Amino acid sequence: MLTVDDLKNFGADTDTGLARCMGNEGLYLRLVRSLCDDPSFDKLTEAVEAGALKEGFEAAHSLKGVLGNLSLTPIYDKVVEITEHLRNETEMDYKPLIGDLNSLRNDLKKLCG
Amino acid sequence: MENFRKSSGLKRRVLVVDDEEINCEILGNILRGRYEVDYAHDGREAFGMLKNASPQYSLILLDLLMPKMDGFELIKVCRGSSGLKNIPIIVMTSEKEAEVKSINLGAVDFITKPYDMPEVILARCERIIELSEDKTIISSAEKDNLTGMYSRDFFFEYIRQLEVYNRDRLMDALIFNIDHFHLINEMYGRKMGNMILKELAQMLMNIFKDVAGIGCRTEADTFYVYCQHQFSYDSIMKMIQDNLPDLSETAKIRVRMGIYPNVDKDVEVEQWFDRAKLACDRIRGDYTKAMSTYSSELHERSLYHEKLINEIGEAINRKDLIVYYQPKYGIQGDKPVLKSAEALIRWKHPENGMISPGDFVPLFEGNGLIQKLDNYVWEEAARQIRKWKEKYGRTIPVSVNVSRIDIYDPELESKLLKILENNDLTSEELLLEITESAYADNAKALADVVESLRNKGFMIEMDDFGSGYSSLNMLTTIAVDAIKIDMKFIRNMRRDDKSLRMVKLIVDIAKFLDVPTVAEGVEDEVQVEVLKKMGCDLIQGFYFSRPVPPEEFEKLIEKDMAG
Repeated sequence: MLTVDDLKNFGADTDTGLARCMGNEGLYLRLVRSLCDDPSFDKLTEAVEAGALKEGFEAAHSLKGVLGNLSLTPIYDKVVEITEHLRNETEMDYKPLIGDLNSLRNDLKKLCG
Repeated sequence: MENFRKSSGLKRRVLVVDDEEINCEILGNILRGRYEVDYAHDGREAFGMLKNASPQYSLILLDLLMPKMDGFELIKVCRGSSGLKNIPIIVMTSEKEAEVKSINLGAVDFITKPYDMPEVILARCERIIELSEDKTIISSAEKDNLTGMYSRDFFFEYIRQLEVYNRDRLMDALIFNIDHFHLINEMYGRKMGNMILKELAQMLMNIFKDVAGIGCRTEADTFYVYCQHQFSYDSIMKMIQDNLPDLSETAKIRVRMGIYPNVDKDVEVEQWFDRAKLACDRIRGDYTKAMSTYSSELHERSLYHEKLINEIGEAINRKDLIVYYQPKYGIQGDKPVLKSAEALIRWKHPENGMISPGDFVPLFEGNGLIQKLDNYVWEEAARQIRKWKEKYGRTIPVSVNVSRIDIYDPELESKLLKILENNDLTSEELLLEITESAYADNAKALADVVESLRNKGFMIEMDDFGSGYSSLNMLTTIAVDAIKIDMKFIRNMRRDDKSLRMVKLIVDIAKFLDVPTVAEGVEDEVQVEVLKKMGCDLIQGFYFSRPVPPEEFEKLIEKDMAG
């Protein structure tokens, strides 16, 4: 069962995230849980693997917005980094970055149970 | 009354457009306490919702990067659509560059991502909605200086604005009017008049603020109120009537009220108040009623009136308007003698049949068309006098009506003289009837016109004498050539002693002034005998003849000539 403390330990800025939800813990935790299944993660991974940087950027950008609003800082920071590269369509090996991102996502998934 | 938006508890609608469900939920959670919130997940869906919205949205919170139609595109299509271009749009973005671009396209503000704290978002939304709503109504002058109520233009604009978000509420349109306000001004002074207006305004504002009402003053003593639908206005009316100041120990101010309940939101705002006015006007002069409610029957009647107004020009051209003549007989000799006639209009409508003058004359008096009608009757009557003169070698003078509005016509005299000239008649042959009650507020103007007409040789008959409140006063300022006793007194003469004495009094006054009296509405021999004994000179009424078309009138002439 996911708790606010779990998220805090994970590195999330839960004070800010909760404040955005007007202190509604239930809502905050529910939104974090639903994030784990956000299709944008897979879209981003697939697009980058296929070299479709524009589509990759769109997915990353979407994720960035949501992660920022939930103040899930570690994943947010990672996505910001990826988004910036994709925005500039930097030709580079995205695998390590995407790998880091998915491992963070898995950590979160585990927390969510 | 001033802050309807806040006091009414009306919730504005906000549309959140974002393809990320989580963002929608966070915003929804923030906004729901204060607004009705709907969601769209791309620009195209949003556009569809905006187009079909009722009531319309007060604000759009817009994400930029979305599938199908992105935020920039939605701003463009909204700004290009007349119905949507005034809805403020706040853009939600994390990109500085996008902020500039969206403001340039017409967004009014932005919210950064990740979102600001809820209070910041709420304050922004509130401010933008307020600014946008005020902007539309700020252009018109807001207040009436005297009463502090809204001005008419502002009031209508305000209602239109409210209605965008208020369509589903049942509302009433009301009109309040003070009886004979111009006389209060004249008799007690403008200062007193203004004081009464202020008091009534204050009272209306106090009473109607409890039912989310707003009000304005339009013409001098007319007030409009727009408020939530009330089942009954009895107690409100009583409160107003009880609290108005008295003019004197005997004179009370009377307020009339016209109600158009559950306004039809599919018609224009102005029309709501036209309908309330229609109801209010119906009880003008009826002292038994202070309130009147608009009904479909009243609506039918006003449509019928509208039809008559539209058709009067054509009716004149087609000669559907026919002048009838009712004879006036001199009764002081051994036997009655045909002396003159009165011209009376009839409308033979191709679809509606004979329309009684009672149905259209007051209507045309109200809107000024009576002048057209009067001019027509003058011409027809003059032609008829001429015709009879040629046929019978004698003049049957015909009296025609001169309405209030004719008196103000600078060309009145020249029109009449031209008509006489065209028919080769003199000014004694066309008699002019004026009604004293129609000029109570401007006796001076009437006196000047009458004097000038008499100098040209016209004979002036004063119609309906005794019914107005200033009949006697009138005679001291205006010289007339005959007095027609109000029909009411003649009718009541037999069963009501006061009426009888009134008739006697009028006849005596006329004798004193050395002018003849005419009794109208005489129906039987007993009345004729009584009037004859009193010294009344002329009689008009069913006893001799109803008003008849010219051909029939000729039989009366022939009979008179045969002796």
